Amino acid sequence: MESQTHNEEQGVEHLFRRLQDFPDDASLHFDIGLFLWEKGGEANGSTEKAAEHFIESAKLNPKNGEPFKYLGHYYGRISIDTQRALKCYQRAVALNPDDSDSGEALCNLLYQGGKDSLEAAVCREASEKSPRAFWAFRRLGFLQVHQKKWSEAVQNLQHAIRGYPTCAELWEALGLAYQRLGRYTAAIKSYGRAIELDDKMVFALVESGNISLTLGSFRKGVEQFRQALEISSQCVPAQYGLALGLLCLAKDCMNLGAFKWGASLLEEASEVARASAYSVRNVSCIWKLYADVQLAYARCYPWIEEVQELEANKEAFSASIISWRRTCLSAARLARFSYQRALHLCPWQANIYADIAVTSDLITSLDKDYERDLDACRQLPEKMCVGALLLEGDNYEFWVTLGCLSDQNALNQHALIRGLQLNVSLAVAWGYLGKLYSKMSKKKLARQMFDRARSIDPSLALPWASMSADCCVRESAPDEAFESCSQAVQMMPLAEFQIGLTKLAMLSGHLSSTQVFGAIQQAVQRSPHYPESHNLHGLVCESRKDYRSAAISYRIALHAISIALLDNQNSQIKDVSINLARSLCKAGNAVDAIQECENLRKEGMLDFEVFQVYAISLWQLGKNDLALSIVRSLAASVSSMEKTAMEISVSFIFRLLYYISGLDAVITNIMKMPKELIQSSKVNFVMSAIDALDGHNRLGFLVSRNLYFLNDHDEIDRVHFLIALGKLVKNGHDGFLAVQSGIAYLKRILHMFPNCSLIRNLVGYLSLSGKESNSCHLATRCCKLDHLDLSDKEGLKSASDIHGAAVVACYANGNSNPKSTFQTCTNQCSRGPAAIRYLQRYFHQKPWNHDARYLLILTYFQRAREERFPHQLCVILNRLICVALSNEFCGKKEMCYEYRQFQLLLCASEISLQCGNHITSISHAQKASVLVLPDNYLFFAHLLLCRVYAIKGDLLNCKKEYIRCLELRTDCHIGWMSLKLMECHYQLQIDSNVIDSNFEECLKKGANSWNMWIAVYNLVRGLISFHQKDLISAEELMREACSMAGFESCLFLCHGAICMELARQYGGSMLLSWAVDSLNRFHELLPISLPLASLLVAQAEGSLGAKDKWDRSIRLEWYSWPSVMRPAELYFQMHLVVRQLKDGPNVTGRLESSHSAWRWVIRAIHMNPSCMRYWKVLQKLMQ
Amino acid sequence: MKLAGIKSVENAHDDSIWAATWLPSTASRPPLLLTGSLDETVRMWRSDDLVLERTNTGHCLGVASVAAHPLGSIAASSSLDSFVRVFDVDSNATIATLEAPPSEVWQMRFDPKGAVLAVAGGGSASVKLWDTNTWELVATLSIPRPEGSKPTDKSGSKKFVLSVAWSPDGKRLACGSMDGTISVFDVQRGKFLHHLEGHYMPVRSLVYSPYDPRLLFTASDDTNVHMYDAEGKALVGNMSGHASWVLCVDVSPDGAAIATGSSDKTVRLWDLAMRASVQTMSNHTDQVWGVAFRPDGRGGRLASVSDDKSVSLYDYS
Repeated sequence: MESQTHNEEQGVEHLFRRLQDFPDDASLHFDIGLFLWEKGGEANGSTEKAAEHFIESAKLNPKNGEPFKYLGHYYGRISIDTQRALKCYQRAVALNPDDSDSGEALCNLLYQGGKDSLEAAVCREASEKSPRAFWAFRRLGFLQVHQKKWSEAVQNLQHAIRGYPTCAELWEALGLAYQRLGRYTAAIKSYGRAIELDDKMVFALVESGNISLTLGSFRKGVEQFRQALEISSQCVPAQYGLALGLLCLAKDCMNLGAFKWGASLLEEASEVARASAYSVRNVSCIWKLYADVQLAYARCYPWIEEVQELEANKEAFSASIISWRRTCLSAARLARFSYQRALHLCPWQANIYADIAVTSDLITSLDKDYERDLDACRQLPEKMCVGALLLEGDNYEFWVTLGCLSDQNALNQHALIRGLQLNVSLAVAWGYLGKLYSKMSKKKLARQMFDRARSIDPSLALPWASMSADCCVRESAPDEAFESCSQAVQMMPLAEFQIGLTKLAMLSGHLSSTQVFGAIQQAVQRSPHYPESHNLHGLVCESRKDYRSAAISYRIALHAISIALLDNQNSQIKDVSINLARSLCKAGNAVDAIQECENLRKEGMLDFEVFQVYAISLWQLGKNDLALSIVRSLAASVSSMEKTAMEISVSFIFRLLYYISGLDAVITNIMKMPKELIQSSKVNFVMSAIDALDGHNRLGFLVSRNLYFLNDHDEIDRVHFLIALGKLVKNGHDGFLAVQSGIAYLKRILHMFPNCSLIRNLVGYLSLSGKESNSCHLATRCCKLDHLDLSDKEGLKSASDIHGAAVVACYANGNSNPKSTFQTCTNQCSRGPAAIRYLQRYFHQKPWNHDARYLLILTYFQRAREERFPHQLCVILNRLICVALSNEFCGKKEMCYEYRQFQLLLCASEISLQCGNHITSISHAQKASVLVLPDNYLFFAHLLLCRVYAIKGDLLNCKKEYIRCLELRTDCHIGWMSLKLMECHYQLQIDSNVIDSNFEECLKKGANSWNMWIAVYNLVRGLISFHQKDLISAEELMREACSMAGFESCLFLCHGAICMELARQYGGSMLLSWAVDSLNRFHELLPISLPLASLLVAQAEGSLGAKDKWDRSIRLEWYSWPSVMRPAELYFQMHLVVRQLKDGPNVTGRLESSHSAWRWVIRAIHMNPSCMRYWKVLQKLMQ
Repeated sequence: MKLAGIKSVENAHDDSIWAATWLPSTASRPPLLLTGSLDETVRMWRSDDLVLERTNTGHCLGVASVAAHPLGSIAASSSLDSFVRVFDVDSNATIATLEAPPSEVWQMRFDPKGAVLAVAGGGSASVKLWDTNTWELVATLSIPRPEGSKPTDKSGSKKFVLSVAWSPDGKRLACGSMDGTISVFDVQRGKFLHHLEGHYMPVRSLVYSPYDPRLLFTASDDTNVHMYDAEGKALVGNMSGHASWVLCVDVSPDGAAIATGSSDKTVRLWDLAMRASVQTMSNHTDQVWGVAFRPDGRGGRLASVSDDKSVSLYDYS
């Protein structure tokens, strides 16, 4: 520091010395002046000296502005000579318009002197002189903003901002100017920049909030006001804006019907507005806002209670209604008080009069006590309206308000017409006028008015509601009425409209639609005292199958009726009570339902619906006698009912009789019924169902005759469905269903109704359960599967289920991977992988669908089997099965679920077995073996156990299980065959004929395809003989099998192969020609070429000496292998083919000629280098 | 507002595509579209040309759901056997595998901060929350049983949970069930708050408005799209127009529109101010399982995926 001052002093001394040398140097004077000026704080004398030097400098060089500036400072601040200061500054600015210090100082002085116009002139002059005089632009901009010259201000401010881009005030001012010019987006941007530069800019925040509100983005506005309040919590405009923004948001919510949300916003708004009103107190508009918020609250506050708790407690319900009403009322009263305060502050504001009128009207409607001094209160709204009109007679809105609030029709009409005279396109006024006319029952006039209102403003709810009421009266178009009313509700969620909508929905069958559900829920919130809203809510819940809530609503409706003390109370109570009884019954609460029915009976208010509910509830409780007596009394009254009621009652009686008294009783009853009662479609359907169960066909005549009365396709389909099921029962014997006769019938029907998916699915289902060979393919072809099944009907099998089951049923999964297996199923060649995908899609569609998962698991298991149980698949399967077992079947004891569990356990066991995990495998299989299932199925659990023990080497247990299998027996052919194979493999045999005789017994039961089964059994025996090296008997058995089932390709393959082997061992062209025959037959039957088969043919042909046939077969063989898997021997054989070609120069095939013989051999060696034969041939070839 | 088709890739996967979501951009790459399919793969596509970036394999059954971490570096995919794979997007390195019993994983969503992965728990009638640092199960939000049912009663499986959504502030979580109810949870306290009623068929997709933590959009098999005040327990809007199940819904980043995909093979754009459908795209030939708005980036983009194996990209403006 010291050295610095030392330096300075040295500098000054130097300056002074030079001044002595050059006394006329202006800049020297200026430098000295500057030095003295800056030292000015320390010694008073120095500023005067400085001024002298400045004067000197100015005199010497009058073109330099700097000395003038400092002189201006001197006069302005020290010697307080404003005039001189002004002159000096003016000079400085004139010399250098960019000099912001002088400019600012000059303007400040002018401003202090109140010379605004001079100030502006100075700034303008400077700005015109130099575009870089940013201070002047800024000053000018501010001035113009002050003078409300917005568009000029914008220009100048924009220019100034180029000089001071980080000056928040400039941005703020620019924002204001834009705002006033109506350029809101630009304004918001400017304010935003200001806030960015300085986050304490309350004004900018408030104003951008205001703009947001104006533009309708309330949420943003609210946020900005909140921010402003964080900076300055007492800022009244921000408080006002926040409350207003919240009010606007709340109104949006109310228009959506989100009353609770709206109320919570209004509570906050009210808090803010109240604080603001009580802190400032004398601002009318804040009081008015507060009142507006309260009024909205009174209109929005919803009744939300835990209805379950009020269900049984009428007092609590009543109390909650009263408290709800009190909340609304006190809000309305508060609103009126606040309006009065506002009015008191600004009595010239006409609209507050109107507001008070509206609020008073609301209070009157909310408060029952007002009815006491009726006249005075009724007239209050009217009077206040007139007050508003006295102040502003030409305001049409007030006229409309008066038109709505007065209760004298003539005055109403006059007021509304007056309003229309002032503004002819006032849709509201037209609407209200229409309402007035329809109240006065001038229908035509009313409609005209409404039409006009709607054409002016289609978004007005009232005309739509009226239109709906119109349609409703005509009773011709309930749908149209519903549509119109739903329009009205969407525009304005008013409880009246919503209740009307629900009623219309009841008439037009839209009761379960979402819109109605939402509407009636909102209606309950806003008119909880009105019994009908609860009743309708109950009906809506009922239509959505939520019977418990429905019952609660009905109970509450009953409470509401008893509180409301209406005129036609009894009929209402009856209606609601019937509803209550019905929904209680449907909810499974029979005891309460009976209670309700008995109450109704005491009142003598029984109708057919109550009878039904009564009877069903009694039946559910097991009081069959009472139920029957009720049914009897219902039957007695049937003849006096109207048609639909009669149909319903009759079919109901039949059904209940069937459940209580059984099949025979109901059939005798039907026979006794007068014919005209049972001719309707509904009754007929029930009759068909009963007939289907009846083995004696007692009703057949009636049912088939009634078929002619039906003309609806769906109904006909369903009856045929039942008849087909009936065929199963009627033509069946010994507990077996006659599946084939059912299918035969359905096929005929399908011819008539080729489009009926119901019938198609049943055909598919039945053919699958028929267990015929190839039935699975028939099933898939029957069921249409154009799109994934979207219905959620339970009970009937869907097309997807049938497809899935068919895929499982086909032994060949159609795996596309040739490494694991070859496709041999002739019917369904390509569906396998697609089927797995399909089932996944089905499962993805409905992941809670256990059928889908079950089928997916089984299909996957098939795939795993075909691919020889790869580890990856086994892991997935294990996981899937594990879950399926754990949550699927709990609590369900039906046989089909037990069966599924059994099946899954066997799958799990098999997988464990394949993974080498014998212990788990055994435990799964043992679990399966103890399920409650017919022996027929359990057989397989023990068969599997037998296998596992055998593989494990535990022969003792294996034998035990084998014996257990023999004891249990099964109807399934495959079972016996497997057991036979096991028996032979592990020498378990006890008695040579047991299995044979069992198998024959089994054959007798399923009569249909025994040829095929015998053939297969012969195949099995043949294989066993083959294993025992008894080739001759094996050949015999195979031959027999082939003759039994001439359509089964694999039998011929086996026969052919065995013949070849025999021929190899014993020689003989006879055997060879047999082999050739069989193998050729095999080729004819199987459409695809199976590896090795052609090779066998080739060998046989070759041995017989037919060279070209050999040649052709080898080539066939070549093509039947997938390219990656061809064995070495095949290459070698090809070499032979090529060599033969060389010998006989006939046709040159493409394939053979591509390689020379020795190359084929080389390839064979490459495949299998260990075979000496190939090497030898190669050696020979090389030579 | 309107949608304009930009690009459509036929046979984007070998089979039905079931899930789609956008991975936000990171410092090193633009946003990617993530799709999951029945063909057991997850694929990543570069916008706007829909160039295939990579194919991830490793699932053994169809991929039912994919989820993207808000930072864009991590994603998760789950298959029908409830095997969840969490992987690093850029390297395809597996970060974690989450196992649950099959049928107990359905839709997944990361929370807005990316600290938690919420998994709709299917048959377990709950939503499982996994910590994304440790990949451990931190909470299970169970839907309470309806009154009067016994704990042994397995009808609890009726509440199969299909879908899950986070509120933009991460405080609330909503899940949709098979019976049409929507359950709302307080995440911090791990508490069930209430049900939202109105749907009567499965709710397969739901999403909160990005601006308003109260506003929830739901899509259901009953062909309706609902708008709920999720705090006030009120149904505040109903948008109908689809002819079949509505399978998916997403809300535009500006919060002014939603897009839905349906079994009727269409994608619809709905104007929330008008509460009406303003546009219907019918370029798919099978049901549309997923729609997703791109979260960031300049131009608005919507992607849709369908059973017809194709991915479509639209410009939203």
